[in-house]
Amino acid sequence: MKIDYREYSPNQRIAIIAASELVGYKSCFVGIGIPSDAACLAKLSVEPKLNLIYESGAVGALPRSKSYSTASPSIAHGADMITDSLSVFSDLQAGRIDVGLLSAAQIDKYGNLNSTVIGDYDDPKIRMVGSGGAHDIACLIPNLIILMPHDPRRFVDTVDFATSPGSGRDIKKIRDQLNLAEGPSILITDKAKFIMSDEGWLLHSILDNFTFAEATEGLPWSLKSPISGPIETDPMIISALAQINY
Amino acid sequence: MIDKTSTVQDAIKNNVNAGDNVFIGGFGHLIPFYLSHELIRQKILDLTICRSGADILFDQLIASEIVKKVIFGYVGNPTVGLSHSFSRAYKKKSIEIEEWTNQSIIMRLHAARMGISFIPSKILQIGDKPSNIGHLKQVTCPYTNHKFSAIPALKPDTALIHAQCADKYGNIQMWGIDGDTIEGALASDKIIVSVEKIISNSKIKEAPEKTVIPSHRVSNIIELPWGAYPSYVSGFYSRDDDHYIEYDTTSRDEDKLSSYLKNWVHDARNIQEYKKLIGSTKIKELEEGLCGVKNED
Repeated sequence: MKIDYREYSPNQRIAIIAASELVGYKSCFVGIGIPSDAACLAKLSVEPKLNLIYESGAVGALPRSKSYSTASPSIAHGADMITDSLSVFSDLQAGRIDVGLLSAAQIDKYGNLNSTVIGDYDDPKIRMVGSGGAHDIACLIPNLIILMPHDPRRFVDTVDFATSPGSGRDIKKIRDQLNLAEGPSILITDKAKFIMSDEGWLLHSILDNFTFAEATEGLPWSLKSPISGPIETDPMIISALAQINY
Repeated sequence: MIDKTSTVQDAIKNNVNAGDNVFIGGFGHLIPFYLSHELIRQKILDLTICRSGADILFDQLIASEIVKKVIFGYVGNPTVGLSHSFSRAYKKKSIEIEEWTNQSIIMRLHAARMGISFIPSKILQIGDKPSNIGHLKQVTCPYTNHKFSAIPALKPDTALIHAQCADKYGNIQMWGIDGDTIEGALASDKIIVSVEKIISNSKIKEAPEKTVIPSHRVSNIIELPWGAYPSYVSGFYSRDDDHYIEYDTTSRDEDKLSSYLKNWVHDARNIQEYKKLIGSTKIKELEEGLCGVKNED
């Protein structure tokens, strides 16, 4: 089946690409928004054994309506287990949760994420919400996937504030010394997939029917042709989309 | 056994002083709105307020100019947007902040609960650290030589929390999402609890595993049905997402926000008035919503 990805909204395309990346994992640390949609989509299609874990303490959740908060009724309702946040973060630090999905206001070429301030920390243009659990996840989760809408303003050379640490050669060295996880390894936008290298993000593949120019438009990093063929996804993922359409 | 039931006025007057550090419970669920609004009504000044993930109750306390310092991991209006009063106060420098992460706040409370002065952790060793936690120290494990950050204990003076039920002695029963609420309460010197319903001690004994805080730790207990609105209470009522969405527009404008605070805080002199503001249509809708008492899904 040929899928026309342009029929789907940017956020849906991110969820579609991300769902494929979750195949093979048993547990996923999930934040609210696109990360939650992507994890639900994977669970409803290509990875039914995936346990969704929210920092509020909900485990084995599968929200069936829009969730505004990580503790929303739609997340509590129908969960397999509700524990406290200390237990969930303890499991995270112990390396017992396989994969995590994060988004942020800004991302840079080494995968540092900013959800704290735009501008100077003490005198910012915009004061944002702060880390929440994002810093913790970025330090500790064994496999980290970043999800970002392709909005060039949000892609920068260096973030204004590294709320959640990235990767690349220098940061990886420090991560190794401190026995931390590797940091972000995959970045998914609504047009492409990138992978982390010592020198920062590399363009890995482009969503079928999109061009190199579209996939890299406005991104401040120097990017070469994709190292792999176009991204195609399992039709099961597309079929399940209707179920997260809230 | 001591009867700890109280009015909301006396509970706050007798347990919270100007300059105190107050833990506010409720991680999305069971947020003690009405109980914490009493801090505003009594104009108790120079407070430090703390918790991991905070939503619009923090915004209201900050807007009411009773807060000197905020200790937090997140302050916002989840999915909807920013905490506008927090952002304004931050830019005007009319509040001090201590910015952590959700995990580190929870570990700080856990350390206080355990009666120790710090907990070693892998987090907060890389990335940008706000200057207000620049003093954070590293420790070396005496067994493995691994480096950890030394997350210092956070021991609030008083915790304000909301739960489903309690008896008059203060045995607190809570279920559904707790987040850091029990951790924060047990870390604090004094605990004040509002509940949907006061039940008998024999009812408590039928399911003691639901008791999360024992009576001897609790200072006062107040029956405040709908006291966690617009957040939710599992088994009673669902979350009013619309209220949170409208609050974004309201709180962008300081004049609109003052009339909101006049209505929902200053003029709501008792919980019946608060319930009247919610209105019978909304009450019915939320009782029938997810996690509500009349939800049969």
